[in-house]
Amino acid sequence: MSSQAFELKGEMSLLSVLLLSATDMSEIQATLDEKRENAHQLLDRSPVIVDCQKVSEQAAGLDFVQLRKMVAETGLIPVGIRNLPEALENTASESGWALLRQGHSRVRATTLPEKTEVADVANADAVDSGGDNGGGADPVQRLRVVQRPVRSGQQIYCPDGDIVVMQQTSAGSELLAGGSVHVYGALRGRVLAGVQGDKTARIFCQNLEAELLSIAGRYRLLDDIEDDLKGQAVMVYLEGEKLKIAPI
Amino acid sequence: MTSGKGGVGKTTSSAAFATGLALRGYKTAVIDFDVGLRNLDLIMGCERRVVYDFVNVINGEANLRQALIKDKRTDNLYILPASQTRDKEALTQEGVGKVLEDLKADSFDFIICDSPAGIERGAAMAMYYADDAVIVTNPEVSSVRDSDRILGLLQSRTEKAEQGGSIREHLLITRYNPERVESGDMLGLEDVLDILAVPLIGVIPESGGVLQASNSGNPVILDTESTAGRAYDDFVRRFLGETVPHRFLEVEKKGIFKRLFGA
Repeated sequence: MSSQAFELKGEMSLLSVLLLSATDMSEIQATLDEKRENAHQLLDRSPVIVDCQKVSEQAAGLDFVQLRKMVAETGLIPVGIRNLPEALENTASESGWALLRQGHSRVRATTLPEKTEVADVANADAVDSGGDNGGGADPVQRLRVVQRPVRSGQQIYCPDGDIVVMQQTSAGSELLAGGSVHVYGALRGRVLAGVQGDKTARIFCQNLEAELLSIAGRYRLLDDIEDDLKGQAVMVYLEGEKLKIAPI
Repeated sequence: MTSGKGGVGKTTSSAAFATGLALRGYKTAVIDFDVGLRNLDLIMGCERRVVYDFVNVINGEANLRQALIKDKRTDNLYILPASQTRDKEALTQEGVGKVLEDLKADSFDFIICDSPAGIERGAAMAMYYADDAVIVTNPEVSSVRDSDRILGLLQSRTEKAEQGGSIREHLLITRYNPERVESGDMLGLEDVLDILAVPLIGVIPESGGVLQASNSGNPVILDTESTAGRAYDDFVRRFLGETVPHRFLEVEKKGIFKRLFGA
């Protein structure tokens, strides 16, 4: 059995979502061109899901073959499509799209109930309820302060700001921040900083025992970390493409 | 009484806890939430007296007084058994809430909810209305991990948490074996406390008295000879606010007599 060439595993990964708000192909092309101009490095070769939630009524107007080609030419890798009306699923599937069940609401469902104490309740609510309509008038949360230990199975997500945990985090917990992460206790769970691609994001902790450290997609596992750094107060940062860990 | 993992001693601890409270004069009910895998009645030695159960009361097929079994050994102690023929889906949030309200109205001082293992419906219902949670943990990594997961759920999936408050958390370590801690087979007390960061309310030593008590249907707290029975009694006293030092944490020094003739 151990001689199998691969294992098939179910796994959650972070992907960008292209949330369509128009179905006119030339309009989509124009926006893609614009994005490529502004952020070509960020977009380069990143896998993306196309979400039709906002255009599901007019989705019949979409040319799925063309859409796939356009996304690929921008330098993105089209992984799949979701929130299509059932009637169109066959067409999309035949055009080479993978059909994904809607996952966004599930991601938030795991974040939402673990509502831990937060410095600014109004902001926390805005983050927890926002996001599904993409770029609304909701104030963006820049900081999330967590007063209690982050337990196994809990996820703290602050897509546009920093996370500060005043206590420890447990193995099996997850911190996801668009910015930096500070943990004033033992860091035992997974921690992903700069999840939107911010390479200047950093991770700070009092006691490094993290299962996984990641900044802007570059990661290291606990087993890859030098023994003399384990259990130490450290700062984690990116130097070029390399994830560095330095005692503090 | 909750733990996440199965087989760590929730039901044994629930029986001991409820009995200890009742012995001190508090009117106490202990409810088995493990619908479909009913055990509490066996541990409490009242399995032959079960007529109606928790699910019957929730469904309105029996009233609370009919279903509550009065303990024969201890005054003030009542058992509400689980149904063996139903599954945990039979527990509804409204139904459970109603039973707990009725017990409070019937002047019960303490209601012990004996949670099933896992994090599914039975466990969710047992924790939802709690004021206090006793997390039962064995000193080994998987039990500690599961308790940590349960602690996370206690922060979010209870009525108190939904209203913006929090419930009191107490850690009860069971099956603690100082010899095996010393030899490195078992996690030490400090390791468990370091990982879970929850106030410790008791450490129950591993003891033959527990199995003996379970098999004979006597809550182990009534066995004042056994170390486990005495440790449960300490736990109840601490819960009621007394300051009691922890004991049975060190390896027992065998005297020359024991060494010569065996223990």
